[in-house]
Amino acid sequence: MGPSSTSNAGTGKPPPPPRTELDGFLAGAGHKVRSSDLHHVAQRLERLESAMVSSPSHVVSDLTSDTVHYNPADLVSWVDSLLSELTHSYHHPNNSSAPTSSTSSSSRSLPVDLDDLFAIPSAANNWLQPEMPLSQPPQLTVFTTMEEDSGIRLVHALMTCAELVQRGDLHLAGTLVDEMTALLTRINTGCGIGKVAGYFIDALSRRVSGAGSAPASPHETEILYHHFYEASPYLKFAHFTANQAILEAFEGHDCVHVIDFSLMHGLQWPALIQALALRPGGPPILRLTGIGPPSPDGRDTLREIGHRLAELARSVNVRFAFRGVAASGLEDVKPWMLQVSPNEAVAVNSIMQMHKLLGPDPSPIEPVLSWIRGLNPRIVTLVEQEVNHNQTGFLDRFTEALYYYSTVFDSLEAACPVQPDKALADMYLQREICNIVCCEGAARIERHETLAQWRDRLNRSGFRPLPLGSNAFKQASMLLTLFSAEGYSVEENEGCLTLGWHSRPLIAASAWQASPLSAAIAGGDN
Amino acid sequence: MAGGSEANVNESRRVVPLNTWVLISKFKIDYKLLRRPDGTFDRHLAEYLDRKVPANANPVGGVFSFDMIINRGTSLQVRIYRPSFEQEPHQLSITDLEKPVDADIVPVIVFFHGGSFAHSSANSAIYDTLCRRLVGICKAIVVSVSYRLAPENRYPCAYDDGWTALEWVSTRSWLRSKIDSKVHIYLAGDSSGGNIVHNVALRAVDSGIEVLGNILLNPMFGGVERTESERRLDGKYFVTLRDRDWYWRAFLPEGADRDHPACNPFGPYGKSLKGINFPKSLVVVAGLDLIQDWQLSYASGLEKYGHKVKLLFLKQATIGFYLLPNNDHFYTLMDEINSFINSDVNSNSE
Repeated sequence: MGPSSTSNAGTGKPPPPPRTELDGFLAGAGHKVRSSDLHHVAQRLERLESAMVSSPSHVVSDLTSDTVHYNPADLVSWVDSLLSELTHSYHHPNNSSAPTSSTSSSSRSLPVDLDDLFAIPSAANNWLQPEMPLSQPPQLTVFTTMEEDSGIRLVHALMTCAELVQRGDLHLAGTLVDEMTALLTRINTGCGIGKVAGYFIDALSRRVSGAGSAPASPHETEILYHHFYEASPYLKFAHFTANQAILEAFEGHDCVHVIDFSLMHGLQWPALIQALALRPGGPPILRLTGIGPPSPDGRDTLREIGHRLAELARSVNVRFAFRGVAASGLEDVKPWMLQVSPNEAVAVNSIMQMHKLLGPDPSPIEPVLSWIRGLNPRIVTLVEQEVNHNQTGFLDRFTEALYYYSTVFDSLEAACPVQPDKALADMYLQREICNIVCCEGAARIERHETLAQWRDRLNRSGFRPLPLGSNAFKQASMLLTLFSAEGYSVEENEGCLTLGWHSRPLIAASAWQASPLSAAIAGGDN
Repeated sequence: MAGGSEANVNESRRVVPLNTWVLISKFKIDYKLLRRPDGTFDRHLAEYLDRKVPANANPVGGVFSFDMIINRGTSLQVRIYRPSFEQEPHQLSITDLEKPVDADIVPVIVFFHGGSFAHSSANSAIYDTLCRRLVGICKAIVVSVSYRLAPENRYPCAYDDGWTALEWVSTRSWLRSKIDSKVHIYLAGDSSGGNIVHNVALRAVDSGIEVLGNILLNPMFGGVERTESERRLDGKYFVTLRDRDWYWRAFLPEGADRDHPACNPFGPYGKSLKGINFPKSLVVVAGLDLIQDWQLSYASGLEKYGHKVKLLFLKQATIGFYLLPNNDHFYTLMDEINSFINSDVNSNSE
């Protein structure tokens, strides 16, 4: 966790084990720095300040407009990379700034000669660091619009009903479901709280009656997915952000292979193909392996989509090969099916798929993560819903879902997309709600977890983060302004990007690569 | 030339703890990257660099928070902070968030974050932290306002949003203190937020909405004239006159100068506050803030018009001293704010 840096004076002794803690006050302000690194950061900041003051103004303005920032929460690497960026442009004014990566803190090549300045003892720093709780209490982010009384009664009833379900009192819960259904007739169910409540009442009703929820056919799922894609920016953001990261990861590679964990209609790939076509130096040879469910009716939908993408690639002179892998679930995919060859750069792309592997023991997530790592991918792009719907307690899960989907539906309403996109997009979400509320065990596949949880899991499984930069952030933000609804917001979260409705993140995009093997063996510690 | 020289670094490093120095210097550099010489602002980069935190309806340290849009037209968003309830039988539900206030008197602080009118929002980490502390120390509910920012939204947008928030707060039945079924409102803000406090309070006069007190923390004021403190302290403690000027140009109407009453409320175009029902004020001035002369004349200006002012002058404090609770000034400030608010509570409940 955190950059693997220590202020080692180079005495020849091995560095002490990293025991220094983060400065608690700065962490509260969103900046992660070890107390032992404060001095170094202070020197760098001062150096950066004076470099900015003494540089010609065009250098500074280039710095601001061209530099790509990565992970501003990590102060050490941020300040180091900015400083080397500025020094580099100053000394090579005609060189358009080479992208600097601050994924490693190894850019400390500049001589540190300001020690004297800081020999003056700082002002008394006796104040105790704030207590950093060992584990933060679970995050429950509520974003509400103006209150409506009837809606509040309904929500209150929903919560009570969920509590009854958790206690096992299905009879009473059923009575409450009837009451709520009656309440529903008195409010507007076309939008707002009435609409969301309606879906949750329906889901509770199914759970209580034991009717459960029938899984959608793959064909239905694809159609609903497509309409959800059209009706909101979430999937577009996912595709766009992942493609940007993949493009960067593929720089300098002539043979590249993208493995898409859920091809659907291949909506993500035309943009990548076109971007690769325009790559300076020419496009690489691109292989795309698309994983998807087997087609029931003898058609080979995967192949059809592959054909369409191949045609597009041909039209822009990108050498392209497609392979479809039919599997009902990711747990059925074996790495040999992907036919990865050693000389190609691999990108593994998972858009809202990984959470399906978090089912009960034996949960397939670890084996899958393990074989992904075994492919030694250049990059793994992961996009997931930013919420914890995998809590064991039913009431907790229900509450989270109610808040989460209320916000999602709010955002969809504001976007005012055309029919039938909107109705089918709603249905796409309704199915998720139903699965979260009605299903248990292996049937419950919508086991969303938060970015923080995924970070933890991936770090432990031998991956390390590849920060998404300010250029991706900027472009994603600009993409959003193309939507009529104001209110979507892109946020930076320690190298990852989230898209949300106002201040509530709803979907999180992150990128990863395999940690060096030794780190993984040591338990992935730091 | 101001800013960046070794002597200035020595100076500022001497008077603040190391982590504070790092934080404020980081902001200084960030902000410099965002301000363009032509007066435009790199908003995308600003959003990217701003460290934000989400609201949390689960209590942390005895405080929970949630966000609301209070005006759909302008997408005006506030973050509400409340002390957690004593008994929590189950998960906080949406009905609990707006549970009516249960005490005789609960102060409601409408808080306007700083950032020189151009930076930050209610969900900026530094302001989320500050608001949480205010709840704990003052036993108050805090409503933090994400007002529209300059230069995209110039004067009077920030004031309009402040006014909207005040109106909204004053009409929430669940915020009413039991003793008189009224919302007990205080306005508070730092830097540009302090300036907003003054202007919203002014607008509230004769509106029927009672503001019980104004808290101005290093409020942002200025004028065309260069004062002694501005000349003496330019560039010495994180702030330069040049950046102050940039922000005024970004906020004030195009073509206006710094004697515009939004910037200089008691200047040549200022309004008389004589005989009006203006709330009592707590004005906090940092002795190492280059605009202290303007802040001090604001305080004495209020006094001249016969209004109650408590001036807290912290000689060795720099801007931003209240962002981290790692210095004496922070605790002095919190005590003062607490007395300012709760002396009313005590006297009312006698």
